[in-house]
Amino acid sequence: MTAVIETRNLSRWYGNVLGISEITLDIEPGITALLGPNGAGKSTFMKIITGQLKPNIGQVRIFGQPVWNNRYIFRRLGFCPEADAFYEELNGLEFLTGLLSLYGFDRQECLARASRALELVEMQDVRERPIRSYSRGMRQRIKIAQTVAHDPEVLILDEPLSGLDPLGKRRIIRLIKEFRDAGKTVVVSSHVLPEVEALTSEIILIHHGKILARGDIHFIRELLDSHPHMIRIKSPQYRELARMLAAEDYVLNITFEPEAQAVVFETHHRDHFFNRLNELVLDRSLDLEEITSPDDNLQAVFDYLVER
Amino acid sequence: MRDEIFRVFSFYFFLGKKSGRARTFFLLSSAAVLMALIIRTYRLAGHWTEDGQVIYQNFLMVFFLQFLIVLLGLFYGSSIVVEELDNRTLPYLTSRPVRRMAIIIGKYLSYLSLTTIMLIFAILLSYLILNLDPEFRLKDLVTVLRYSSILWLGLAAYLAFFSFLGTWLKKPILVGLAFGFGWESVIQYFPGTTQKLSVAHYLKSLLPQYASSTGKLGFLFIRLEPTRPLTAVLILAGIIVVFLSLACLIFTYKEYLFED
Repeated sequence: MTAVIETRNLSRWYGNVLGISEITLDIEPGITALLGPNGAGKSTFMKIITGQLKPNIGQVRIFGQPVWNNRYIFRRLGFCPEADAFYEELNGLEFLTGLLSLYGFDRQECLARASRALELVEMQDVRERPIRSYSRGMRQRIKIAQTVAHDPEVLILDEPLSGLDPLGKRRIIRLIKEFRDAGKTVVVSSHVLPEVEALTSEIILIHHGKILARGDIHFIRELLDSHPHMIRIKSPQYRELARMLAAEDYVLNITFEPEAQAVVFETHHRDHFFNRLNELVLDRSLDLEEITSPDDNLQAVFDYLVER
Repeated sequence: MRDEIFRVFSFYFFLGKKSGRARTFFLLSSAAVLMALIIRTYRLAGHWTEDGQVIYQNFLMVFFLQFLIVLLGLFYGSSIVVEELDNRTLPYLTSRPVRRMAIIIGKYLSYLSLTTIMLIFAILLSYLILNLDPEFRLKDLVTVLRYSSILWLGLAAYLAFFSFLGTWLKKPILVGLAFGFGWESVIQYFPGTTQKLSVAHYLKSLLPQYASSTGKLGFLFIRLEPTRPLTAVLILAGIIVVFLSLACLIFTYKEYLFED
């Protein structure tokens, strides 16, 4: 698939403070999540790829074109900034139609597009209320509405789920997935791991302005050959299973959960572990009810990578 | 480009009408109307015998010329980028398909339109309050239209200059205050060409009666060495074009960072 967003050696400093350093990425259609703690460089990266900032070194291209001051790219781009900032004097509808008018749509078109965007974020009923009276969740949703109202092909969403209640988060996640299904390129940043997990498995871990890892969660797992993996197996024969695997040198630790009839193994060679497990299941006719990886989430990966 | 400017103009004119700042400055402009009412009442009571024209020239014109147009220009012009930075709304503008130059010109024109409404309302109403009587003639109307044009030109020039400061400096208000109410006032009293380094000089040059230094507040104009009217108009137009172009240029190439 052709990359929609290409960055090459992108670096940016704020005086002596490093924003991002030598970021080279190709981002393709679908959802890509930028994950990192506050101050990791996510927002700097997003501001550069949306033409809000210039890189000190390197270049960024969207659809093969440079972004800075490129109004042809801006027509195809939707940016949801992180800041909770609005033209507070306006109501939701005025805010959207006002921004849409900057695209050159006529009044009727602005109204139609604004209505569609308000419908998407389920805010039709509060469209005439001043933005200053909106709750945090509503403000976040109207910000997303302005991002999508002109039907862009590329969406850059900086912390789009922050401040939303669980229901609001679910709505926005569903919406973002709809954009993906429509073939759009969506870049989302977050410092909250479950949010990212709910959105996509294509993640870019960023920390101190550098890319730590990129890929889906399993690919990143493969990078972590020395990172212990947790594998929880629920079986009526959990004690026997533990005894058989205890002798293997790649099993680092075993924890029992008698109430659940489960055992948790810690290993740094997941493939070896599963090969051996398969053999045991076939040879001894073990009855396994459930196999899960309690730490197979982004939090574990991120914690490990950051500590490394 | 014209279309882009118009889009930005329309959006900001609408936004400007709804803003609290517009209400505040409209009220401030109305202070001239209030002053005119007080003076008229005072005259009707027989305490002030001078002609309405003379009072207007020597009193209200000073308010407009040395205070109101500077203040409107300063607060609207210097906020052209700073308000977007302070409110963190700049990305909404700079991620849209409009040239940065169009953003500055569009905002400038919308703010010029808003402040023109405030200014013209105050000029006309206060003039009529002071001068409307059975002897009111067409030439009086011509006079007030001339005042309005000169003050409007001054407003446009100040707005352009302060827009330039607003795109260039992070905190343009202090520099703007120092320029508008320090430099612009003090430099008037310097003889020779030094006084020509101000906007007010050219505006006063277009008001010939001030050169005579007569009237109650004539002392404000004692040092004026007027520039020829046509030259003054051209220089004021030049100030508008130069500083607006500089503002556009800076905004096109400069990147703006939020405080954090």
